[in-house]
Amino acid sequence: MPRTTTTFTRVRVLLLITAGALGLGMLVGNAQLGPLDLGTVLEVLVGWSFVACGIFLWARRPANRLGPLMTTVGMLWLLGRTMTLVLIPVVYTAGLWLTDLWAAGFALFLLSFPTGRLTSRTDRAIVGIFLFVTVPLEFLWLLFLVPENGLNVLGIAANESAAHVIDTIQRVMISVGSVLLVIALGRRWLRSSGPVRRQMAPVLAGAVAILLQSVSWILFSSGTSLEALDDLIFLAQIAIPIAVLSVMLRSRMARGGIADLVVELGQTPTPARLRDALSNALGDPSLQVAYWAPIQDRFVAATGEPMDLPDEGTGQAVTMLERNGVPETAIIHDAILLEEPGLVASVASAMRLAVENDRLTAEVEAQLTEVRASRARIVAAGDAERQRIERDLHDGAQQRLVALTLALRLARTRLGDDADPSVKLSLEQASDEAKAALSELRELARGIHPQILTEAGLHAAIESLAVRTPATVSVDMDPDARFAPAVEAIAYFVVSESLANIAKYAEAGAVVVRAGWQDGVLTVEVADDGRGGADPHAGTGLRGLLDRVSAVDGTLEVVSPPGGGTRIVARIPTAAPTHTADRMTARVAT
Amino acid sequence: MTTILIIDDHAAFRVQARAILVAHGFSVIGEAVDGTSGLEAARTLRPDVVLLDIGLPDVDGFEVARELAVTGPPPLVVLTSSREASEYGPRLTSSQVLGFIPKDELSGAAIRALVRPA
Repeated sequence: MPRTTTTFTRVRVLLLITAGALGLGMLVGNAQLGPLDLGTVLEVLVGWSFVACGIFLWARRPANRLGPLMTTVGMLWLLGRTMTLVLIPVVYTAGLWLTDLWAAGFALFLLSFPTGRLTSRTDRAIVGIFLFVTVPLEFLWLLFLVPENGLNVLGIAANESAAHVIDTIQRVMISVGSVLLVIALGRRWLRSSGPVRRQMAPVLAGAVAILLQSVSWILFSSGTSLEALDDLIFLAQIAIPIAVLSVMLRSRMARGGIADLVVELGQTPTPARLRDALSNALGDPSLQVAYWAPIQDRFVAATGEPMDLPDEGTGQAVTMLERNGVPETAIIHDAILLEEPGLVASVASAMRLAVENDRLTAEVEAQLTEVRASRARIVAAGDAERQRIERDLHDGAQQRLVALTLALRLARTRLGDDADPSVKLSLEQASDEAKAALSELRELARGIHPQILTEAGLHAAIESLAVRTPATVSVDMDPDARFAPAVEAIAYFVVSESLANIAKYAEAGAVVVRAGWQDGVLTVEVADDGRGGADPHAGTGLRGLLDRVSAVDGTLEVVSPPGGGTRIVARIPTAAPTHTADRMTARVAT
Repeated sequence: MTTILIIDDHAAFRVQARAILVAHGFSVIGEAVDGTSGLEAARTLRPDVVLLDIGLPDVDGFEVARELAVTGPPPLVVLTSSREASEYGPRLTSSQVLGFIPKDELSGAAIRALVRPA
């Protein structure tokens, strides 16, 4: 490695010396032709600026192609111009060619900023136009060219008018290419975000310079030569490499891109926008993002299509975002970016933050789903338990009390009318106590779980509640509709709690209970004409209802203006009801 | 003498009901512990009255009453339960039976009031 580095350094030093010598040669050569003008000095400075800045960038960012490219552009500039000063046919002709070839190099430099690589087809096409003009057409032109000094070594078919036609075609094509180049860079500038736009300024200046250059050529071919315009173009061309170098070394573009990336990631972008943001931040339009799919045991694109990670030596590299040592997301990018580890690391950090954020959100969502499910299970389990307790009471204590009541009555009967009155009284009292106990137990059991709900459904259960309410209750619902047990239990308790409240507080004359299913929701409504003013947050009754209804993702609405009656509406999402008639048919069939 | 078949799954109730009914001059000719054996007993014993519990372990009392109504000649059916009538709502009021007596209200007089209405 040290040897290679030394070799590179030597090459760069050599190039620097060559460029210096060529520039001096240009100055000396021109000085021999006459007094030096400002234009010539600026011309030399353009070449030196490109070579010096290119070599400096090359040394500081060895992996970035922009450095060598700038150096090449500068060398072409100096070499071509110096060689046309040498009055040897071969050298002179080569000089002419190289001078024009410079334009293609400059276009390539502008379009490939900041990576030194062309990424879009349009960019390649534009550079192609420049190359076509400066290589095959230039060769053709040189075949016909009749230079004043007669030094054209290629001029084997000297034909002035043919050379002129080709020259015109070249100028038109270069002008078109320049316009396209300006459009391409302009579009890129428009699509970029603020910081990137600022960093693109030198390249845009370059685009304008190349446009002015073609204007200057057209003017020159039509006989006009504007020295001031040329000098202005030269000044721009001197400044461009310096500006590009400063931009590249400060890496402001990259940092600006990361700022954009962080903003973009904060807004939970779509996968496509995430890719674009990463691509912008890293200045790599070819960037792709792959996600690890544990089920498929491979990486997939956001669209779910399998993706293969690039191998080494393909010019692409992978930055892996891992979690607990397990790969999660792979950013596939230009291998050249590995030379800027700080940049990639920053982007990876931003990305990791976003991924972690998403993961936490997903985790909370999952927990919430689990909590909802467990709440529904708890309510269902509670209902089942209440049902079991009711049945136990019915089959156990209640039956014993019934038997006891009957036994006492039988004893009283057998005792006859002429028995001891105190014994008769005791038996009658015991019988009354047993009946009272039975009645209380019955009430308790019904409160725990109404048997009728299980046996006969919501309508019958509500009817039985209506009978016991000291107000006129009308029930409006499909008598045969049966819902899931948990749903029926919740609907029943909404009605029973509401009716109990009406009996206690409302002083209502008429109550309407409506229940109906539509579009996946069972709506249960209890409305009275009482004094209203019920507060759903006071007391445990309505609060308990709200909890029960929420447990199955339902809603409870209480409208109770003072003096305006009370309306309680529960909406419980549930499947369409079955009908008792259907169930009977089913039973007969089995 | 009016003959009675008791269908109920609770032994304690059957014992007390039999004793009370016998004490009030009825002839309890059979007992059954569920709907299926109750229907079988009704067919073979042909009682005048069936005292039928609603909450049976296999089929419920309403179902048994429906079956009994189509066996000829149908017995008079009196439903009973340790729950109140209101807990059965429309199922009870729409059933084709003679009447309903809560278990703790069972007496010869209650049966007689249903069987021979004044």
